[in-house]
Amino acid sequence: MAQPILELRNLTVAFENSGREIRPVQDVSLSIYPGQTLAVVGESGCGKSVTALSILRLIPMPPGKILGGQVLLDGRDLLTLSERQMRDVRGGEIAMIFQEPMTSLNPVFTIGEQIVEAVKLHQHVNTSQAYKIAEQALHDVGIADPDKRVHEYPHRLSGGMRQRVMIAMALSCQPKLLIADEPTTALDVTIQAQILELLRRLQQQRGMSILLITHDLGVVAENADAVAVMYASKIVEYASAFDLFDYPKHPYTEGLFRAVPRLGDSGGRLTAIPGAVPNPSRFPSGCKFHPRCPRASGDPLCANTEPPLREIAPGHWASCHHIEDFAQKPITRPASEAKRPQGSLAT
Amino acid sequence: MTETAVQTMAPSLANDVTGRTMRRWGARLGLTWIVLLVLLAVFAPFLANSRPLLLKSHGHWSSPAIENLTPADVIIQAVFWTTIILWKMPVSLRTKILIELAVLVSTTIGALVWVHPSELVIYETYRQDERAGNVEKVINAPIPFSPDDHQRDLEDAQLKPPDSAHWMGTTENSADLASNMIFATRIALSIGFISVSIAVVIGVIVGGLMGYFVGWVDLLGMRLVEIFDAVPTLLLLLCFIAFFPRNLYIMMAIIGLTGWVGYAYFVRGEFLSLRDRDFVQAARAAGIPLRSIIFRHMLLNGLTPVIVSASFGVASAILIESTLSFLGIGLVQESSWGALLEEALGVGGTFYWWIALYPGLAIFLTVFAYNLLGEALRDALDPKLR
Repeated sequence: MAQPILELRNLTVAFENSGREIRPVQDVSLSIYPGQTLAVVGESGCGKSVTALSILRLIPMPPGKILGGQVLLDGRDLLTLSERQMRDVRGGEIAMIFQEPMTSLNPVFTIGEQIVEAVKLHQHVNTSQAYKIAEQALHDVGIADPDKRVHEYPHRLSGGMRQRVMIAMALSCQPKLLIADEPTTALDVTIQAQILELLRRLQQQRGMSILLITHDLGVVAENADAVAVMYASKIVEYASAFDLFDYPKHPYTEGLFRAVPRLGDSGGRLTAIPGAVPNPSRFPSGCKFHPRCPRASGDPLCANTEPPLREIAPGHWASCHHIEDFAQKPITRPASEAKRPQGSLAT
Repeated sequence: MTETAVQTMAPSLANDVTGRTMRRWGARLGLTWIVLLVLLAVFAPFLANSRPLLLKSHGHWSSPAIENLTPADVIIQAVFWTTIILWKMPVSLRTKILIELAVLVSTTIGALVWVHPSELVIYETYRQDERAGNVEKVINAPIPFSPDDHQRDLEDAQLKPPDSAHWMGTTENSADLASNMIFATRIALSIGFISVSIAVVIGVIVGGLMGYFVGWVDLLGMRLVEIFDAVPTLLLLLCFIAFFPRNLYIMMAIIGLTGWVGYAYFVRGEFLSLRDRDFVQAARAAGIPLRSIIFRHMLLNGLTPVIVSASFGVASAILIESTLSFLGIGLVQESSWGALLEEALGVGGTFYWWIALYPGLAIFLTVFAYNLLGEALRDALDPKLR
């Protein structure tokens, strides 16, 4: 099996808030393999963005701190690097694009100046060469007349164009891994599709890996090879995209799918998951999902003991006490449709 | 593609704001007055000088005015003409600043080495020569009196009200008021700009660090700011002046060192809101070094209120200098509007209206001009008024 590009091992992140410590990310382990797209899905506040920011050590410290675990990039633990070394990783080996393209570009610099600054930091080129690289990057993301556009200010570009610019900036230094934190959430649907298509194309051309953070299951279905479902600071289910969509094991994942409207469904109300994501300062005991879980229904096991993440089927992990009791569908399925994840959770 | 073509395609924020500021009549009026003051300050030795600009005596031409320029005059001329030449040159701002600095340094060294005006100043000689008919041809400055020409050759030149010879009258020690007014523009302009620049630099660094790092840096910084804020500036200035020599540069430094508090407040506030903006995080995620994030990416976004309050700060620096000079503890060597104003009240309570009117008017108009500019800038930069 190929070596993972990035491996998170038991990552735990804490924030101190007026004397009280909360842990928005607990014991998270993930692996991303070369050329793979790993999606992390979950509701707002489940810790997916904090996980992404922790990889680049971008969470504000203080109040945040990384309590434990390892972030291995090609076997090198990013948590032990100096700030100087970390700057080379950021934008060089791991690039990141953000949710809000409208505000992620600095309004007082031309887009060229912004790309060129990053290019010059990570590649030893002079300014005119850096402009060439910037123009090529803009061309690659499908921006017409890149030689003119480099001299424009962000306020003259539309949201979709700005996200393309962000992607161009992120990819101008040929990163091994792109972290995309809800890259299409702020865009309208047609532009979303274009941006996702663009990411797919660029990924195929360059063989880079993508860590895709999203709460949009449609985006996951279209792009992801493997999916990790996060709930209340932990990963509750991990599988290939096909396995997860066909045979969700965790009641939370099932709930997410039931809450998504399907083409062809006639009328009726969507089934929402009752309640809301618990605040990290007041996580419930036992299984964190049990107050909202249709399976728990007063089971003391769910209320008192946190279920471990265990491998239900090859490459399919979930943490629930009642997986076997509620397995409505067969776990095996025809091999023809399988696009297996290239790996499994780090063990 | 040429630079101008790009600029017409995408007007930069700076161009945009300049355009909107200049559309207001107040700003144009203020700027006109300040440009006029700059021209007066730069060409002062050619506008008001007891020495003739051109002189033909015993068959050969000479220019006593140019021969007796001080090193400061030479440096000012060099910087002024470099600025005019660079103004429309298609080079980047950084290159312009570098050329400007190079010219400044080289002329400063050159002027200090080679320019030595005669130490003994006797202004009367030129007038006496002229009267005696020793010169064939002479072209005098529009105001043929230097600011420190006490007209010892003339009887009763003391405290003359304005007439055709002395457009603004004369002072108690027989100096021409108009000449002093022109030379005083140098003090007014330089004390405003330099002291405010010092204050802005300190304020931006302290405020920027407080706003970016928050936590204990902010806590310590705010206490420092509060300490400086609690000290009455004028009182501190009086104490400083008691211990240090009366020198223009020391005065600039003192006004700058006591005036940075306001800028630190502004920059801190801006940075507190900027530090959580997405583009700052995006810059960090791209591996941009902290120095560049704070002093390039964030500062250029948070400079708006600083620019506005700096234009008001220039006005108040001029007022502080005038106040000190009026109180009689200002500069001794150079002419200054405040110092002139003080002479309006003569011995025994006599009031000389011309000495009160012209310097008072000049101070008022200059402060007013800076306020007009500041107000127009503030409106142009305020997104709600766009």
